[in-house]
Amino acid sequence: MINDPNSVIAAQLSITIDGQQTSFTEGETIYQVSKRLEKNIPTLCYDDRLDAFGGCRLCVVEVEGIRNPVASCTTQANDGMVVKTAPPHIEKMRKTLLEMVASENRQIDVDPLRGLASQELSTLVNKYGARSGRFAGRKSGTTNLQDLNPFILRDYEQCISCYRCVRVCAEQEGDYAITVANRGFETQITAEFGNDLRDSDCTFCGQCVQTCPTGALADKKAIRHEELPEKIKKTRTVCPYCAVGCSIDLMTKGDKIVGAQPAMDGPANKGALCIKGQFTYDFIQHEDRLKKPLMKQPDGSFKEVEWNEALTAAARGFADARAKYGRHSIFGIASGRAPHEAAYTMQKFIRASFGTHHIDNCSRA
Amino acid sequence: MPSATNQDLIDQWKNEPAPLLPLLHAFHNRDGYLSDDALRAVADGLKTPLADLYGTVTFYHHFSRTPGGLEAPRVCTGNICCMRGGNEILETLKAQGQAATEMPCSGRCDAPIPVLTGHTTLSGETAADLKPTPSPLPVPNPGDIEECLFSNIRKDGNNTLAGYQANGGFSALASVLKDDPTAITDTISASKLAGRGGAGFPTGLKWKAVADCDRHPKSIVCNADEGEPGCFKDRALMDYDPFALIEGMIIAAFATGAPRGFIYLRYEYPETNALLEKCLAEAREAGLLGNNILDSGFEFQLYVRRGAGAYICGEEGSLLNSLEGKHPFPRNKPPFPVTHGFEDKPTAVNNVETLCAVPHIVNKGAEWYQSLGLGDHVGTKLISLSGDILRPGNYEVPFGLPLKTLLYHWAGGPKDGRTIQAVTMAGLSGGFLGHQILEDLTLDDPCIKSHGSFLGAGGIMVFDDTRDMVKAAHDAMAFFAHESCGKCFPCRIGTQRLTERLNGDASELSLADWTNEVNDIGEAMKATSACGLGMAAPFVTESLLKYFPEQVAQATS
Ligand SMILES: Cc1cc2nc3c(=O)[nH]c(=O)nc-3n(C[C@H](O)[C@H](O)[C@H](O)COP(=O)(O)O)c2cc1C
Ligand code: SF4
Ligand code: SF4
Ligand code: SF4
Ligand code: FES
Ligand code: FES
Repeated sequence: MINDPNSVIAAQLSITIDGQQTSFTEGETIYQVSKRLEKNIPTLCYDDRLDAFGGCRLCVVEVEGIRNPVASCTTQANDGMVVKTAPPHIEKMRKTLLEMVASENRQIDVDPLRGLASQELSTLVNKYGARSGRFAGRKSGTTNLQDLNPFILRDYEQCISCYRCVRVCAEQEGDYAITVANRGFETQITAEFGNDLRDSDCTFCGQCVQTCPTGALADKKAIRHEELPEKIKKTRTVCPYCAVGCSIDLMTKGDKIVGAQPAMDGPANKGALCIKGQFTYDFIQHEDRLKKPLMKQPDGSFKEVEWNEALTAAARGFADARAKYGRHSIFGIASGRAPHEAAYTMQKFIRASFGTHHIDNCSRA
Repeated sequence: MPSATNQDLIDQWKNEPAPLLPLLHAFHNRDGYLSDDALRAVADGLKTPLADLYGTVTFYHHFSRTPGGLEAPRVCTGNICCMRGGNEILETLKAQGQAATEMPCSGRCDAPIPVLTGHTTLSGETAADLKPTPSPLPVPNPGDIEECLFSNIRKDGNNTLAGYQANGGFSALASVLKDDPTAITDTISASKLAGRGGAGFPTGLKWKAVADCDRHPKSIVCNADEGEPGCFKDRALMDYDPFALIEGMIIAAFATGAPRGFIYLRYEYPETNALLEKCLAEAREAGLLGNNILDSGFEFQLYVRRGAGAYICGEEGSLLNSLEGKHPFPRNKPPFPVTHGFEDKPTAVNNVETLCAVPHIVNKGAEWYQSLGLGDHVGTKLISLSGDILRPGNYEVPFGLPLKTLLYHWAGGPKDGRTIQAVTMAGLSGGFLGHQILEDLTLDDPCIKSHGSFLGAGGIMVFDDTRDMVKAAHDAMAFFAHESCGKCFPCRIGTQRLTERLNGDASELSLADWTNEVNDIGEAMKATSACGLGMAAPFVTESLLKYFPEQVAQATS
């Protein structure tokens, strides 16, 4: 929520954070106001697209007059509140919590190709010097190796039970494909009855992968390129698949496209993608991709030709068909991948050049 | 009789309030377990996502997913039962080829070891003498001090409507219905009655907050989850004075303007469940519940909802989520249930004992209730006493009673030749108090809090000098680890790590490192956990280190 400084109400409500007084809008959480002040409150269960959950407890802050620290992500700012975001005793407990979380995983460092948020845990563990190896004990989570779906690696041995995946699937996607089974240290992310994702309501949108703060969920296609030596470069572009126009960051290593990640600030998608934008970028560099027109030969085989030749042949074919069977013998279907302008041109072409209203689009959504 | 079809069960429940738990129980009871097909039918019938439902079902200890699971014996291996042969019974039953499993304290610490099969509680000292056993009545008034909650409980027939009425029952309701609702709340406030479920929040204030909130419909929820190990006082009230609870709830409903109420009862009390259903039917029949209570025009519908085995469902936010059919994680507060409770509407959640005190207070007045405490203390508290003590059981004590009086005079002291080494407070949640300080302890929060603990729901376990306190602490922490809901990091990981540190698994640590780790985990849990379970669990290790450092040193070397 954005604070409107002109609002009368906003001007009346004020909070002091680390000695700095600021106004806020009713309903804003301490975390949201602190973020505006560029306070660096650590979080692991937070994703600003989701309802605040209050699980990781790293975001606790001290509020004057309240004995225990409060979770800043779930606690609304109150008029006159005095907050300290990082007093030493809270920083110490944050370190303890991070040491505890680190102790339940086999692996803290994961390749950034795993997912957009995959570096969150290791970044915080480094920042707080939490690689002490203290609190050693049983590890949690069981990696699901039998799920052979081609898209999502379910490496739950690295799971820290923040439930961002479950919540994004429910709250953002509305798919409710995955859930938390059991309780306490035995919690396990799973589909119903422990099913593979393809037997569940999963649509392979990859949202769970991209919000996972540990890389426990990973983009299986992207991590095939872990070994390429070049650094990952991200290029902002638009998904070519449909007219929604989701913003993506295409990841490359050298000349090789290695993956796609949703742009959290994409005006059309705000961090969301579907299976196509998320996982099916690799046609671009696929060996089967057509780069030149193919023309069918009388013996049924295809021959590579130049564009001019292909277009001439196509025009001739259309003209013959129209002459022989009439203008309504032709039906145009525009690709769902075509943007508005191309779709418009397509219908203009069918109507003006053939004189028929037989024109449609493959997207029926 | 042909058994009900899936559709019959769904039709029976889908339009009832809070339908998920009773519908799951209906399938569980019909099939003896919850099959994949049953879950599919329930998801379909209630239009709830299957994965979500699956996750929620696996949360509960007592919903079985394997054929025969409902009838398979569940043996209590809680702290007290561990000390008296629970594990031996478990092993014997397994050796006989039964699919026996463990369960946490099932609230029968004052009787021989309980074993739950189907809807029957068996009990016995050994596997050979297990037999269905009614729950024990409180012993006759041991202190010759005026009682409130237990004043009628030992009278024959008090748990029937006629018997309860013969003992003056429902006279409080009759007088209340003629009065102004705010007057009742004022009386309860004046009595200084406070929550007996553990948190001690003033009951009058809670009711006023609900009454003052202009969002409808409101609810009264009785917290009868009694999951705290070593607590079994709500069981006694419901088994032998059930109409006092019903009357207290109707009065609470009238005071707050709530047309509906629920009794959320723990799974482990199947006999109580049957009794309450019967009592509610009788009360409806007699016009004490329903559309027009005692011809006053006041409407209140009351339902029992049975839990399925989860200590955390006693925490009010978790309880409300469970009632609503959601995953039973605790809720973030604020908002509190008084404004955003059942189905997000104003709700008074009250413990059984709190509600049972209400008719007595209405009948005899706020001043009378206040005067029951000793010295400056107000009112009475039920204490469930168990463990190494001659007469375990439920006792109604005036606040301020010396612990010594309860332990030695009322309950007969430790067994012959033994001395008391430690007691727990608040069941397990208050940790241990060592023999060093028991001499001068009085049963009231100011005194107990000055020792860093709290009275809570009033469960006191006794450990004599033969007991290994590290083992006792381990069993306590293992309970918290088993019951941690998994919502928040400090508790989910902390209860596990502390259990490991108490069972010798981390014995390569030096005593100094062991102590540092245990203290750091405890500090983070107490300060940052999302609910009372994680905040309270470190009392166990903290008090172990405080009173029994030499036992810790021995166990970690
Ligand atoms: C982990 C946990 C378990 C609880 N279990 C119970 C319980 O079994 N019964 C109960 O009445 N209150 C229990 N409580 C307290 C409830 O949250 C709530 O405070 C109480 O039901 C309010 O009723 P009262 O004001 O009448 O005590 C529990 C709290 C926590 C944190
Ligand atoms: S890929 Fe999308 S639909 Fe599938 S589990 Fe993840 S969030 Fe849910
Ligand atoms: S898989 Fe990732 S997002 Fe899901 S709960 Fe585990 S750590 Fe969190
Ligand atoms: S403290 Fe424990 S029981 Fe409470 S919310 Fe956290 S994990 Fe759940
Ligand atoms: S970010 Fe607030 S609890 Fe995780
Ligand atoms: S009944 Fe077994 S420990 Fe309470």
